[in-house]
Amino acid sequence: MSKSYEEINSKIERGDAVVLTADEFKAVVQENGAESAAREVDVVTTGTFGAMCSSGAFINFGHAEPPIKMTKVWLNDVPAYTGLAAVDAYIGATELREGDGLDYSGAHVIEDLVAGKAVRLRATAYGTDCYPRKDVDTHISLRTVNQAFLFNPRNMYQNYAVATNSSDRTLYTYMGKLLPRHGNATYCSAGQLSPLLNDPHLRTIGLGTRIFLGGGIGYVSWEGTQFKTNVPERNGVPAAAARALAVIGDLKQMTPEHIRALYFTKYGCSLGVGIGVPIPILDEEVARAAGVTDDQIFAPLLDYAVQSRNRKPMMEVSYAQLRSGIIDIDGREVRTSGLSSYKKALAISRELKEWILQRKFYLSRPVDTFPGERAQRPLDVRPATEA
Amino acid sequence: MAEKKFVLIFSQQQASSPVTFRLAKEYDIEVNILRAEIDERGGQLIVAMTGRGEEVDRAVAYLERSGVQVRELDRFVVRDEARCTDCSMCVSICPVKAFSLDTATWSVMLDQDRCVACGLCVDACPPGALRRGRETPGPIRT
Repeated sequence: MSKSYEEINSKIERGDAVVLTADEFKAVVQENGAESAAREVDVVTTGTFGAMCSSGAFINFGHAEPPIKMTKVWLNDVPAYTGLAAVDAYIGATELREGDGLDYSGAHVIEDLVAGKAVRLRATAYGTDCYPRKDVDTHISLRTVNQAFLFNPRNMYQNYAVATNSSDRTLYTYMGKLLPRHGNATYCSAGQLSPLLNDPHLRTIGLGTRIFLGGGIGYVSWEGTQFKTNVPERNGVPAAAARALAVIGDLKQMTPEHIRALYFTKYGCSLGVGIGVPIPILDEEVARAAGVTDDQIFAPLLDYAVQSRNRKPMMEVSYAQLRSGIIDIDGREVRTSGLSSYKKALAISRELKEWILQRKFYLSRPVDTFPGERAQRPLDVRPATEA
Repeated sequence: MAEKKFVLIFSQQQASSPVTFRLAKEYDIEVNILRAEIDERGGQLIVAMTGRGEEVDRAVAYLERSGVQVRELDRFVVRDEARCTDCSMCVSICPVKAFSLDTATWSVMLDQDRCVACGLCVDACPPGALRRGRETPGPIRT
């Protein structure tokens, strides 16, 4: 038996849709099996909240009087990219404030905007006949700008590495502070709640899928950068970083609890983004995939003391082990930390469920699907004739 | 029996006096040294003192008479609950397991009684939700 998107949406409309969060659904699959769960349940809501470096926002500031074609733009002294039309700019999450330190960035600008704060805008220009003005120094907020939308080229990675450090010194990385001699291990996935681990081959998630993004409604806008499929699988689920998605959404709908600037000491900044994706339980196969639990999902343990793109996994660990707080490395108990908030992931899956039950959110059939096979290419130093 | 934590700041001259020995011997105080630092200006000890209430008070009075600056510590690390995302980065960083992840609620819990003011968690917290309490000394002397 199978259901269509239209059938599910009309059940939502009538108020008869059965919507469960991912953790609730797993309990149903374990108790009654995937076939029964597919009959009984219409939608499963997933969630994740973690550091998503490949994030940023497009902003249109509006025209000054007299007008300016901005050639350099700073928001709270963080440079934004403005090689676009006159008053459009892109503020990237990891771009650092000019002049001092590593701890204020585009992510902080985005968080400040979402929190309703005013942000200083400075711009310079060379001046043209149609845009005579050569500089502007003013303040903007989400109330004063035209469009402001998050457009993140790579978010909600399908699984990720677990980081540890075999060296004799503390390492400061995007995976957090890694203590010497395997003093700890850090991981960065919501595991069994994570959107792309619940639909591992993207049967239901594709171009145009409507999602929860940062507290507002957003959409999947493309395959994520570094999207790849050729990784080992365990229990039908990729056991390493694999697919990722580009997403887009209105910054004006977002909330500070789901958009949070993050600073990693001696590394730099990132943006904590909360995302939820609904999975329509179209048939038994979709139900079985969304029934996957943390003990069946594995991630590779990598030694970040090896400064190479070719780190070999030391071993694989399950998210059940990681979330227990302790993993075993060479017979030693090593404590674990998440960089992804399981509590926020749960809260997002619950909020999205409520939106659907309250008929504020309907499911969308993807406009197109993403590649079934894709390998990731490295960057090598090469002459033009080999490029 | 009560345990209280204190910062003891010594001048250079006092740094060689056997203070903790006297506390144990004459005031019947169990002293646990949580941190000790010394440089050319003097030294700093963070200690947990366990004894009956009045004994701890007498011991503090003795230290002050001897010219040691004594400050009681309640909260070494202050958490901004609104900034904390409950990610659990602090959990594996803390050498004394003051942080833990509650697997019923998935909230990160902070047990102030276990904290020894090492400050390792402060720069490990990605959203910047942890800072030293007002009374907590920095890594070297305040």
